[in-house]
Amino acid sequence: MSAETAGPETLGSLSTEPEHQDPNSQQAKEISGKSPMRIALGRLARDKIAVICAIVVLFFIFCAVFAGPISSVFGVSLETPLASERVDGLNKGLPLPEMGPPNGAFTMEHPMGVAPRTGEDNLAYWLYGCRVSLLIATTATIFASVVGVIIGLLAGFLGGAVDKMLSFFIDMFLTVPFLLAALTLAPIINDRFNTADNYGTIQKIALVVVLSIFGWMGTARLIRGEVITLREREFVQAARVMGMPTSRILFKELLPNLAAPIIISVSLMLPTFVALEAGLAFLGIGVTDGVSWGQTILKATNLTFFREYPQYLWQPLLGIVALVLSLNLLGDAVRDALDPKTRR
Amino acid sequence: MKRNKPLALVAGAALLTLAACGGGSSDDGSTGDDGAKRDFGGQEGGTKDAERQGPAVEVEGATAGGTVTVYLPGDPGPDTLDPTAGWSVTGNSIQQALTSRSLTQYVRDEDGQPVLVPDLATDLGTANEDFTEWTFTIRDDATWEDGQPVTADEVAFGICRSLDSEAFPSGAGTEYSKTFFDGAADYEGPYTGKDPKCEKWSGISVDGQDVTIKMAVPFPDMDYWGAFMAMGPAPLGNASKPPNYGNKPLSNGPYKVDSYKPNEELVLVKNDQWSADSDPGRHQYADEFVFKFNQDQAKVDEIMLSDNSDSQTAVSTALGSDKYNDANGQLGERLVQQTSQCVSTLTPDYTKITDINVRKALAYAYPYQDVWIAGGEVPGVTRVPANSVMPPGMAGKKEFFVDGEQITYDPEKSKALLAEAGYGDKPYPITMVFYEVDPLAVAGQEQITKGFEAGGFSVKAIPVQDSPYNIWLDPDNKVNKKLNLRGVNWCSDWPAGSTMLPPLLKGGAVYNTAFFDEPSINDEMDNINTLPLEEQADAWGALDEKIMTEYFPIIPTAFRNDLFVFGSKIGNPSGDGSIGAPNYKDLYVMQ
Repeated sequence: MSAETAGPETLGSLSTEPEHQDPNSQQAKEISGKSPMRIALGRLARDKIAVICAIVVLFFIFCAVFAGPISSVFGVSLETPLASERVDGLNKGLPLPEMGPPNGAFTMEHPMGVAPRTGEDNLAYWLYGCRVSLLIATTATIFASVVGVIIGLLAGFLGGAVDKMLSFFIDMFLTVPFLLAALTLAPIINDRFNTADNYGTIQKIALVVVLSIFGWMGTARLIRGEVITLREREFVQAARVMGMPTSRILFKELLPNLAAPIIISVSLMLPTFVALEAGLAFLGIGVTDGVSWGQTILKATNLTFFREYPQYLWQPLLGIVALVLSLNLLGDAVRDALDPKTRR
Repeated sequence: MKRNKPLALVAGAALLTLAACGGGSSDDGSTGDDGAKRDFGGQEGGTKDAERQGPAVEVEGATAGGTVTVYLPGDPGPDTLDPTAGWSVTGNSIQQALTSRSLTQYVRDEDGQPVLVPDLATDLGTANEDFTEWTFTIRDDATWEDGQPVTADEVAFGICRSLDSEAFPSGAGTEYSKTFFDGAADYEGPYTGKDPKCEKWSGISVDGQDVTIKMAVPFPDMDYWGAFMAMGPAPLGNASKPPNYGNKPLSNGPYKVDSYKPNEELVLVKNDQWSADSDPGRHQYADEFVFKFNQDQAKVDEIMLSDNSDSQTAVSTALGSDKYNDANGQLGERLVQQTSQCVSTLTPDYTKITDINVRKALAYAYPYQDVWIAGGEVPGVTRVPANSVMPPGMAGKKEFFVDGEQITYDPEKSKALLAEAGYGDKPYPITMVFYEVDPLAVAGQEQITKGFEAGGFSVKAIPVQDSPYNIWLDPDNKVNKKLNLRGVNWCSDWPAGSTMLPPLLKGGAVYNTAFFDEPSINDEMDNINTLPLEEQADAWGALDEKIMTEYFPIIPTAFRNDLFVFGSKIGNPSGDGSIGAPNYKDLYVMQ
């Protein structure tokens, strides 16, 4: 988590001029009259990998948002069944043959089978696990990038003592070992809130807070660097001379020019958080009520289950891999599209 | 006696047992389709043989030589090898069988039952009429590993050490020596009390080879207590000073400590000074024993099932439940099922749930089989239905059923009982804790909640990240104050009701988490200790039945069994019924 989600060296720099082009060329004529965002979107649409990744990501978002309706369409739910009704305790706790794989044939009642030992429905847990994963990752990303952008803007633009102080905070948060902090926090949250009725929600909020607290520094550094180069540019100087208030310069002049690095850092932060959420759930901190891909993987990493019933591990694993991979590739594509120096 | 497993596992197991409780359907033994019908290595209440003399009966076909490797999955092993400090299934089972002799010991008879026989004493001790004075005559032919004879003075000093509850805070002496020995309450022990020769304690006297111990209260089970290694000799003076002595204690058994790395490995090699003629119970077949602690269960399971050269002379003290079918089919006699003399219970708070019908409703609403399966147990194998607190085979145990038959999951019956108690119109609230760090414990709790709700209860399950025992046993804990349902797992220290009923159900006992406190029952427990010895076992059994049928203060959810795996070249694969461990005394390597 202390690693930057995106570094300036991989971004290209927006402050340098695009390389010289012949203004009369075909390409230049096409581009003229379009906003930089339009140009970028056009490039994205022509990028096959980006389109495929976007479709995959949209599929996961669809699953997450409509987890409830999809579950009821298939007639499955998160409800805990009596274990003995669905699994065979004398046969390694594997599902009964009539529940589907590995001992029986596919059945529409449980399209993705049921979990060994508990008999919970895999499809329902997969859908709601997707929702938890995306919900936590998205919220944490929003918080982390808002904080990161504001701190970066202030530090870069105001400079001087403010910059020194904010940079000190950035460095300080970078020194705190993330995993250790998360491990320490879990029992504290538990001790304080375990009798509350909405413990599950509090647990998720705490997870979002932890992820955000340790996720904003990369963005802040990136934005600070960009602002430092931008603030010396003529349009900013002009705005200053005209007596615009600082807030207006920050949000009306600088921010629009920072759209590219922000979008990029967000698109790379999302997959990081998805993977982290699952990782923490696997370690037994973070989400502990079982509705999380990480928790399903934890239950499935058992040599016997993997040998006899590998689907049980593959389902959440494929979910995480596909989601993280497409988010990453999509992030790369967005970066390429927004970078004026990239020509494909 | 505690189970020596890491916190998480114990806690998880505790919850499961709390959750996983007794009742359940009555399929016993394995019904795996490819496995042999398996008998439990049980124990039927321990017989005694005061006349047994050395050498021990030879194991048929036993050969000498070889190295036995013992894997202990998920078990950190003892923290110290000091005989006085040991009070765990793991440490005591190893040391008492191989290195550290005491007044008495157990041997396994042909039927697999433990028999109490003399060890360093020439018989099982002589008590006076009311069991307030015990005399043991120490044999003169036992020796230390350095060749010096074990003297009566050294035995007396060893016993005296067990009174030092500050130097040995987790030793079994803190429970038994301190409670029963005369003058023990005022004596701080040889180290804390600055009395290195144990001269200030008047409760013990040595006359030639005779060691006489005076009791503060009648203690008819002294001969059983004598089988604990804490009731054995220790070298006089600084040689046995804790904590250093715990790293390399002086051995007087057939094996001595070669190297010991706590939580990692213990290597025992032959003690050539031990003479078989002096010992009625132990053998010296293998050249070496290597104990590997803290092993990974899945890894050990793979090794043991592969039957490669590593595993042929190895023993594992546990088997993953997911491997049970494979092991049952492949291993035959080499998979040993041993009762661990432990009971898992649910304890409804007697001060909050005052109606016996509600407590019975809980027992009917508990989905026994489902909790076992979800918790990773094999129903009927590692957990069997329980009818009362005393584990199967304990002397005096009665085969009775509270309601005429084994209580099983029956939510309708639970609702009817609740209605009878006047709680039919709305769900009866239950508050309990579960260990959220272990997914198996979480899954078990989900089953309990499901069952209880079907049975007419409403459940508030509080997730905790601490051992549930720390919650249940802390009277000031804010969570504990809200609970009306707790649980305890308890194992017997020797096969007598006195190590099961009073610790769980006597008013004021530490592990009495039900807060059951009936003066008439407390008096009866005190009375049984004063009864003639031969009547005590039946009296405990009768009291067990009386408490369960009249008060039902505790819901026994399961009796627990252990699974041991033996390599194909280990001879005489068997379990030790007295302690719930492999029978180390009689193992040998086939040549």
